[in-house]
Amino acid sequence: MSPGDAAAVVRAADEPVIELTDIRKSYSSGRFAVDALRGIDLRITRGELIAIMGPSGSGKTTLMEILGCLLQPTAGSYRFRGAPVEAITPDGLAALRGREIGFVFQSFNLLPRLSAVENVELPLGYGGVRRRERRRRAEQALERVGLAARGRHRPAELSGGERQRVAIARALVNEPSVVLADEPTGNLDTHTGEAILELLTSLKRDGATVVMVTHDPRIGERVERLVEIRDGRIEHDGRVRSGTDPDGV
Amino acid sequence: MRVADAAREALRTLRVSWLRTALTLFGIVWGTASVVFLISWGLGVRAMMEDCYGRVGRNLVQVFPGQIGSDFTPAADRRLLWITLDDVDAIRARVRLSSLVLPESQTFRSVGFRQTTTSLNIRGVVPENVELRGVEVSAGRAITRDDLHHRRRVAVLGSKARERLLGPHGGVGSSIRIAGQPFTVVGLLSRVGMQLWQDGPSQLDEQVWIPFSTLAGFGKRQGRDGDVVDNIMLSVKDRETRKAAEHEVRAILAERLRVSVDDQEAIRIMSPLDALEKIPLDQLGGLLFTLGATTLVIGGVGILTMMLDSVQQRRQEIGVRLAVGARRRDILTQFFLETFVITGLGGLLGIALGLAGCLALASLATADLIPQPIVRWQTIAIALGVMTFVGFASGLVPARRAARIDPSVTLRTE
Repeated sequence: MSPGDAAAVVRAADEPVIELTDIRKSYSSGRFAVDALRGIDLRITRGELIAIMGPSGSGKTTLMEILGCLLQPTAGSYRFRGAPVEAITPDGLAALRGREIGFVFQSFNLLPRLSAVENVELPLGYGGVRRRERRRRAEQALERVGLAARGRHRPAELSGGERQRVAIARALVNEPSVVLADEPTGNLDTHTGEAILELLTSLKRDGATVVMVTHDPRIGERVERLVEIRDGRIEHDGRVRSGTDPDGV
Repeated sequence: MRVADAAREALRTLRVSWLRTALTLFGIVWGTASVVFLISWGLGVRAMMEDCYGRVGRNLVQVFPGQIGSDFTPAADRRLLWITLDDVDAIRARVRLSSLVLPESQTFRSVGFRQTTTSLNIRGVVPENVELRGVEVSAGRAITRDDLHHRRRVAVLGSKARERLLGPHGGVGSSIRIAGQPFTVVGLLSRVGMQLWQDGPSQLDEQVWIPFSTLAGFGKRQGRDGDVVDNIMLSVKDRETRKAAEHEVRAILAERLRVSVDDQEAIRIMSPLDALEKIPLDQLGGLLFTLGATTLVIGGVGILTMMLDSVQQRRQEIGVRLAVGARRRDILTQFFLETFVITGLGGLLGIALGLAGCLALASLATADLIPQPIVRWQTIAIALGVMTFVGFASGLVPARRAARIDPSVTLRTE
């Protein structure tokens, strides 16, 4: 990020990064139409640490995909840093996903053929960063998640926790405005999940906005703001526990 | 993502699933090798045919006198025609499209050497016959103008005639008998090899050449205006002007013999070039190319199948790539390049294999009628061209399918 961008970020600190207004999404399969989202209003400002919780089928994954610009809503308006997402071209959306959004998935979604550091390099490659610079920044990102020594390993040679750290490094490598994590601890044991959670919550210190989608109640306890959704609607949105120290163990 | 990165990615993918890659590659390798080998072999067949038809003489055209055709005269009066040396001289003087015009007569006679006697085809020739036939004198000398003038009893033997008559004991200087008269062997011809077209009853290697004038004294017919000639031989300048040259000669001769120029029976003109043109060498070449190209296309279908399967298996990877910022175009490029790299690799291996096949066959082929593959750079260019087309065609569909994959579906955890 150039100094100019940094200044813009400071000025925009209270501006919403994400602004959803009456977002709806319905899937039609054959004769049946399923309304996954039935009018979501959500405003996320820079630097927030937020969890979206809800039972299976509540529409939280769909919401996540819309937030990540992987899916177009059926109706409603989505502004990302003020820009209406519906108006962005497909190539523009790809660039937005690459530079502004970092994804962390439940099943890690690392490419098995690539080494850890190459997986982390992926977003930079599509962003047009030169090879040497890519490697340098990817190694930095790995260092940040505590995996500097494991960069040459393939995903299959890493433990679940390590894989998720690689995925987080990949999400962070472009210094995105928002990190979207879909069930980041879902495939991990309690202890490892705890460490991953700690890593994600620590990102707030660096000024990142972190949105986690989960049904793990322990995540709900760690965040400043909790959004609960059910049947495609927001049921509750607010601070769970005021004064929670997101960095605390 | 730049093309170099995508190419590197493609190579990596192919390396990881190397067994599948190798199996798919086989189709392309075999196809390209087939194109290279079959085209080269076809060219070899053509060259061999041209060689074997051309051995009788370079761009040879022969003119035989016949009988006036029934369309031009009442059946009872079908006059027999003959050609004399004067006719040959007249043609030589007036023809423009032929560099060599010479007479030849032939007969079978018993030929003896020491205790051996055999029947051989005796040809009465002029000195230029060596040039027209394109043969080499391996020992001694050819028939000279002097021999002709003095009606000398000298003979030049073809390689097989020499084997049959002289065996290992005789050579230049040996005395032989032709029709009971003593002759001296003054020269030997080097081996010509199998002819697919021959004039008269013998191949060049089996002939005994003596001066034309000497043969004329063997009781052959005598014409009023000079010695009778069995046939006239011409070497035309090139194949393109052959028909025109034939027409020219026919016109001159028809005028002298007072027959119609349209009377094909009175003046018969033959050429190995006619026979060669009747062989469907172009069709053969086309067939061989089609065979090779079809094999290559089938190889391309194999790649198409593999890549479609690969796209299906790597839906998740495609989803991840889209999520981290890949444009549809990047995915398209990636899969397209993968197909292209594999086709290119297979193609280069195939060209190498095809060339190796050609070299192997060339090293084996020694017999007269076995074609030697002829490798031209154009053949390799054609193989590369067809290969590129196949790679392009079989890469397009999988790449487009990959680029259309919906990331939100592939990234769902269950």
